[in-house]
Amino acid sequence: MKVSMQWLKDYVQINERASVVADKFTLYSQEVEYTKQLVDATKLVVGYVKSCEAHPDADKLSVCKVDVGTEVLTIVCGAPNVDQGQHVIVARVGAVLPGDFEIKEATIRGVDSSGMICSLDELGIEHKYHNESGIHVIEGEVTVGANALSALYLDDEIIALDLTPNRMDLLSMHGVAYDVAAIFDKELNIPEVRLTYSDLKNPMKIRTETAACMSYYGSVIDDIEVRPSPLWMRARLIAAGVRPINNVVDITNYVMIETGQPLHAFDYDLFDSDEVVVRLAKHDETFVTLDDKTRVLTDQDILITNGKRPVALGGVMGGADTEVHDQTRTILLESAAFNPLNVRKTSTRLDLRSESSLRFEKGIDLGKTKYALDRATELLIKYANASVRKDVAYFNHVATEEKVIDVTLDKINRVLGSAYTEAHVAHVLKRLRFDFTVSDGCFNIVKPSRRPDFETYQDIIEEVGRISGYGDLPATLPRTVTVGALTPLQKFRRSLRRLLNGLGLDEVITYNLQDSEKVHKLVLDKTLQPIKVKHPMSQNRNVLRLSPLYGMVEAVSYNVARRRDSVHIFELGTRYTEHHEREVLSIAMHGTYQNRYWQSTQTLNFYTIKGIFEAVCKHYNIDSLRYEQIEADDYHPYQTARIFLEDQAIGHIGKMHPSLSAELDLADVYLLEVDLENLAEHAEALKPYEAIERYPSVERDIAIVVSEDIAAGKIIDMIRSHAQVQMKEAVVFDVYVGERLGKGLKSLGIRMVFSDPNQTLKAEVIDDEIQHLIEILEKEYDAKLR
Amino acid sequence: MDLKKIISEHETKLKDALKSVDKIEALQDVKAQFVGKKAELSKLMRHMKDLPNEEKPAFGQTINEAKQYFSSLIETRKTEILEERLRQKLAQERIDVTLPAPDFSPGSPHLLRTVIETVEDLFIGMGYLVKEGPEVESDELNFEKLNLPKDHPARDMQDSFYITDDTLLRTHTSPVQVRTMLAYGGKEPVKIICPGKVYRRDDDDATHSHQFMQIEGLVVDTDTSLADLKGTLLAVAQKMFGKDRRIVLRPSYFPFTEPSFEVDVTCSNCDGAGCNMCKQTGYIEILGAGMVHNNVLEAAGYDSTKYQGFAFGIGVERIAMLKYGIDDIRHFYVNDLRFNKQFKGGQS
Repeated sequence: MKVSMQWLKDYVQINERASVVADKFTLYSQEVEYTKQLVDATKLVVGYVKSCEAHPDADKLSVCKVDVGTEVLTIVCGAPNVDQGQHVIVARVGAVLPGDFEIKEATIRGVDSSGMICSLDELGIEHKYHNESGIHVIEGEVTVGANALSALYLDDEIIALDLTPNRMDLLSMHGVAYDVAAIFDKELNIPEVRLTYSDLKNPMKIRTETAACMSYYGSVIDDIEVRPSPLWMRARLIAAGVRPINNVVDITNYVMIETGQPLHAFDYDLFDSDEVVVRLAKHDETFVTLDDKTRVLTDQDILITNGKRPVALGGVMGGADTEVHDQTRTILLESAAFNPLNVRKTSTRLDLRSESSLRFEKGIDLGKTKYALDRATELLIKYANASVRKDVAYFNHVATEEKVIDVTLDKINRVLGSAYTEAHVAHVLKRLRFDFTVSDGCFNIVKPSRRPDFETYQDIIEEVGRISGYGDLPATLPRTVTVGALTPLQKFRRSLRRLLNGLGLDEVITYNLQDSEKVHKLVLDKTLQPIKVKHPMSQNRNVLRLSPLYGMVEAVSYNVARRRDSVHIFELGTRYTEHHEREVLSIAMHGTYQNRYWQSTQTLNFYTIKGIFEAVCKHYNIDSLRYEQIEADDYHPYQTARIFLEDQAIGHIGKMHPSLSAELDLADVYLLEVDLENLAEHAEALKPYEAIERYPSVERDIAIVVSEDIAAGKIIDMIRSHAQVQMKEAVVFDVYVGERLGKGLKSLGIRMVFSDPNQTLKAEVIDDEIQHLIEILEKEYDAKLR
Repeated sequence: MDLKKIISEHETKLKDALKSVDKIEALQDVKAQFVGKKAELSKLMRHMKDLPNEEKPAFGQTINEAKQYFSSLIETRKTEILEERLRQKLAQERIDVTLPAPDFSPGSPHLLRTVIETVEDLFIGMGYLVKEGPEVESDELNFEKLNLPKDHPARDMQDSFYITDDTLLRTHTSPVQVRTMLAYGGKEPVKIICPGKVYRRDDDDATHSHQFMQIEGLVVDTDTSLADLKGTLLAVAQKMFGKDRRIVLRPSYFPFTEPSFEVDVTCSNCDGAGCNMCKQTGYIEILGAGMVHNNVLEAAGYDSTKYQGFAFGIGVERIAMLKYGIDDIRHFYVNDLRFNKQFKGGQS
């Protein structure tokens, strides 16, 4: 909504500049998008072209003698329409036009020129508002030498409001005036309309067959003289962002902006009946709108008919065959209220958004329908020399009973946290011009028709709050006493993130929406169905990810492409399957880890990422992990494993398939993904103190030779599960494969640590234990002591 | 026999011998030669029997003192040799201390998580719980129970990622508030914040992201007031932007709150005077807030005649961008480590 300050002053005596009004409006009502001068120019005067002769040296230029009151200027003008006897807008030397264009003395092809005769475009009035080419010729009586902007009613300021959906009352100048009067605590003057009727009788009969039209008023207005509307009205329309056309169209638009009530004028001579029947369209019924397009309708569209055929799409657009034209003499003027939902559906479906439909969609003041009709009639009588027939035809099904909203002073203060008195609140309600009574600390407010958004007392509290000023409210904290804390899972996440940072991994957050073509990449279960979004913004973000890994590999690739070779990242993210949203820990590693520079650096391998994962597990006392080698698409067939925690598969770890790495121009990439919630569940809380062992532990190393394809983990498991003496540790410390052993064999060096909390272990006991374990390994795995 | 002279001669010899010795092993020989049983000095003791009784003690004492003295000379030399040996050994261990160490540098937390933690900690300190919920959410919890019925103009289908007619990617974390209120059964006071990812159908550009992070807050009790909201948001603004910040509540509209506000904070760059950072306004919009709409309370099982509350929503990216002068929201999701690694340490 663009508010003309000049127009606003019709209703509220306000002397402040637009910027001051805007600042207050922002704090007390609605956001102001911007304020500006309607025409941002200085030193423009009305000039009279006394003579106009061809330039001696240029075909297309004229040399004009222009009287500007105090003197006669010579101005060279290039516009073809300049002529002797015109009143024009003169930018004198020193004038600044929009775009900081300063007018200077100039010599044009040998002729001195002291100023410029302006077009409307040069004043910054966009072409869509006037359609003129060449200089602007001022119509009517003006004083030579006077301020040209004042003479044209263009010395106006605009406040552009950015309205929220609940404040559609501000889509009218009246609505804005109500608010400004309340904010500035000023008198409000909404003029009454007084009409004199002709002797002719309004023959119209109006009825509706649908509840989607709540009221409909129609006047028949004769003797219309279609012509341009007065300068002031055109200027105000331009300020409001509406293109002036002719007096009939302009007056309907003007009244719409003034009151918020859209109007429509039919050419009565083309109306072809004395009846208006409103109904819903039939499915697939067609109608030609005034833009000459044939519209196919649905049973949600409101149709205005003359009882025989449709003449307008209610609230959206008139019909072509009853349109007002230059020779129109008599009109049927409509002021009606339509259901917002129907209008919204129609205008959206047909892509016919207009100032009218916008207002109907948001909800108009149902109490202003008749007023708007009369106001437009008044203006037509005055500016189109018209006369109006007796009796307005109408129906009005708008409920007449008043809705009263009750709210106590106590509730107001309790919600706002304020200490307002009854007198203060009453004063605020008066400033807002609400109709109310007060008894026993309870305010009974009649819901004003101009505020269709009002539903409950909360709306009233909002009004009291904003007009009183939120800035004056105290700043306190809730008195509700509660204990604030993180849940164990939330704490675990925080601690895990720090731990992974400590291990040298950077945290990333990648997008959850992915390309359906890539969503199964690096996912073990290719049968999983991703969740699709119905209207994706693009193909590459059309499904929810099944794993963060591919997005992370893309991040790796992004960095590697920018010459950062070492990328070690993790994400605590979510993966989405049809029935689950599970949080996962995902890790991707590429390049040198913990670079040792000039000292020998170990290359990144499977065991690096495994070590990182196990460091995490050890930190949280998570043991009983098991790795089972698997083959999976997108992964190295011999360097990938599923991870089990207490026999539950919780994720996988491995090397990305070298072909996929090559495809992405990457070196070796190692990946891990485990279920975060599983980890969190197994992460132990701190345990009670355990006495530090008093007896020395005993360490024994053995070397055994077994078949190469027996996993070391199985042998360790076997040792652990068969240990008879308390075993603290069993770990492979050496792996050897070589010709000396024979083909297909490997040697494993295994270190075992035994300890007993109650005694020093004797050498014989350990010897027996080792013997026992070796026998088992011989039996189970054909292991030979080396 | 001039004992003193003999001892003096021996002393000279010993000192010469010690000078030429530079190995511990050779020192043993010197020791044997001068203070051992077979040393010349020891042999002098044999003459004791030839002396008168009264001279015997002095004679013995002189020899013993000389021996002690000689031993101390040898010990001193020994220490010198050992020290020299260590010095030489250490000299061979010389390193170039300017060479680079292995890179054990820790990784960096993601800035958005850091900002969330800072806000979480502020609210935990004020007694709030942190609540979370699913991102694939029902229309009912995301919209309907928040006073946004199906035909509400403020919920344009075009703005949300629908999955089916009834499920969508949540557009805010407000459904977690609804879930919490429902779980509390309309009886207990609520005091929570809800951080998390949310989604809107926006084209990604410098200021828009189809995925972003929010922290919403909700307090419901019998006396929770707008003044309480003001104080709470002032605490947030001061925590995030400095203790001198002030806030301004501007009337706005959200379907789930009434009254509703946009909250501006005084510009940390110019303190409200107007500068380029705040586009000359002196204020920067940081969040939306309001008093919970009765329809929302009722839909979640709270008696609106008894309970009232406030709610607010903070855009995490927006806070991070303002606080750290980040000009493009996409930085948070591209994961260029040249960006991510700028925010180390995790203190926001």
